[in-house]
Amino acid sequence: MNLLLVGLNHRTTPVAIRERYAVAPSEFGGLNEKLARSPDIDEVVLISTCNRTELLAVSRAQESALECLHAFLRHELGDGSAGPSHIYELRDADVVMHLFRVAASLDSMVLGEAQILGQIKAAYRAGVAGRSVGPILNRLLQTAFRAAKRVRSETGLGASSVSLARVGVQLARELFESLDGKTALLIGAGEMAESALRGLQDAGVESVVVLSRTLESATRLAKRLSGRPASLEALQTELGTASVAISSVQVDRPILGPADLEGAMQARRGRPLLLVDLGVPRNVDSAVNEIENVYLYDLDDLEEVAERGRAQRGAAVEPALAILSRERDRFEAWRAHLPLIPTIRELVNHANHLAKLEVRRVAPDLEDASPARQEVLERVAEGIVAKLLHRPLECLRAESEEGGGPYYAEALRRLFGLELEDDEE
Amino acid sequence: MTHLACELAAALYLAAWVVGALTGTEGRGARGVVWLLGVGALLHAVGFVDLHRQTPVVPLESFPAALSLIAWLTVVAYLFSLGIARIRAVGAWVGGVAGVITLLAELALRWVQPTVPGPQSGGAWSHAHVLLSTAGFSLLALASLAGLAYLTKERELKYKRRPRFVLPSLEGLDRFEHLSLSLGFPLLSLGVVTGFVWCADRGESPWTGHTLWLLGAWAVYLLPVGRRVVRQQRGRLPARGVVLGFVVLTFSYIGVRLLGTGA
Repeated sequence: MNLLLVGLNHRTTPVAIRERYAVAPSEFGGLNEKLARSPDIDEVVLISTCNRTELLAVSRAQESALECLHAFLRHELGDGSAGPSHIYELRDADVVMHLFRVAASLDSMVLGEAQILGQIKAAYRAGVAGRSVGPILNRLLQTAFRAAKRVRSETGLGASSVSLARVGVQLARELFESLDGKTALLIGAGEMAESALRGLQDAGVESVVVLSRTLESATRLAKRLSGRPASLEALQTELGTASVAISSVQVDRPILGPADLEGAMQARRGRPLLLVDLGVPRNVDSAVNEIENVYLYDLDDLEEVAERGRAQRGAAVEPALAILSRERDRFEAWRAHLPLIPTIRELVNHANHLAKLEVRRVAPDLEDASPARQEVLERVAEGIVAKLLHRPLECLRAESEEGGGPYYAEALRRLFGLELEDDEE
Repeated sequence: MTHLACELAAALYLAAWVVGALTGTEGRGARGVVWLLGVGALLHAVGFVDLHRQTPVVPLESFPAALSLIAWLTVVAYLFSLGIARIRAVGAWVGGVAGVITLLAELALRWVQPTVPGPQSGGAWSHAHVLLSTAGFSLLALASLAGLAYLTKERELKYKRRPRFVLPSLEGLDRFEHLSLSLGFPLLSLGVVTGFVWCADRGESPWTGHTLWLLGAWAVYLLPVGRRVVRQQRGRLPARGVVLGFVVLTFSYIGVRLLGTGA
């Protein structure tokens, strides 16, 4: 069984293309089911976040499965605009380490952020619900979740992470002397946007205006953030007074273009405006950045800002990678045992069967041949079998980790006549 | 004594530049820059007092001495402005510029006898003209430094470039530029007016290369002043105007003299 991964992410693909491959969580189930119907795919999970779209699969037919995954990614999930340089494919141990890094947020734009783990869990749940997750992906993803938790609790990467909030505050401080008394807009909702806004509030932003498609949802969120609600129609007016605007709306096309900002910028009289676009697809037309005194940062730009501070956290990354490597080794050891499991099960059954037959054969000759006595004898025989097989099976497991498992399994089958037995049956 | 004090001042200004470049805008390094500039300005003042004690009119007569005076006023204006605008990062740049100017002025004063005569000493009008002009020049030098820093930072933020210098916030730079321009431009204007009055007082024509370029610089400054004061605009355009104005102003002081078309 081969582990395969095909995808694109924020490191390989600009947001302008990435946004065409973004999949809403509500579509995960249907797409998983569709892909799982392919004869080349045994198990599959689709992961799509603002930074990545990836297909994680298990297959017996590696090459044809990869072809299938590439075609599905390019034409079913996206519009074919991603080229070969944007899409990567990984196999086996590389898939494991990649997934562990992603889950532990070592591959995230904001190192140590917790949101990615929740997003992968949601993708996993969608796979389970759509019955596209089998034993291998189940084990792989469970191990990834455990590894991510260990990284967070044992390295403190999460605690000392450069959060999106911190990146947002850092950018705002590049523009403004102080955030005291400033106004921030939150357009739409979302964990990242909320986190960034809370960071700004902690840094001194005084008033918050929450804009949403409906006034009801804006009111709910505004209450949580101690802000003022407003409907999306008031966006242009609100931009005339705010210093920072964070946008995270699920839309097909930008909701803010250069023409929308003209009036607002006249009202601002040259005061700078920081626009943070966390949406995928993007909420703000990139041409807005050409307007004087407007500074637009999308996810790729934030990635660049976050990257600048990443070197400072190298101390936390190294222990995290060590944990992930150990977890990968454990998973790979488990995966290496997989082809041996039928052989081991067969061998143990075969030996127990022989022991049981032998007990039944000698039972009539015993003085006390009661069922209770026969049961005791069977247990003794099984115990002897288990002890006899213990060492060879341990040896088999150890060899399988070194890559010799299939040869030893074949030897066992021949030595104990397991194939013969199958043939006889 | 005069030369030693001024050379020490130049050394301290340059040290402030180095410290600022190495340590950034916060913490001990930034405080060190302010201290170095402060001590440098004090020594520089001692040098001027000593020079004035020897020859009371020299500071206003000699061109290198006038340059040295500009450097000193620039540092003093910057130190006073710290109480209003919190932009320590510009301190390193101020130190660099003031250090180089002071050092060149000192070299000229020590080894090269001024061949091009400066404004002739001539009573209150000449003193007023030189003092107002140099004070205006110093403040406009600060404004242009802030403008240059603003344009650099604005470009980095706009095009998401990795920062090459540690600079204050755009808003801070803009405020500092505005403050320096608001003080420097009226002083320069008064300097221009007193210059004309001084010429009229002596019965000479004011239309020399220096005064024409000075008027040109003053006209260039009208653009950023108009945008800032009248239309309350900020950003790139006023910053560009301030930098351009200072280039013309510097030419009217130094370039014209070097080309020999000054008087």
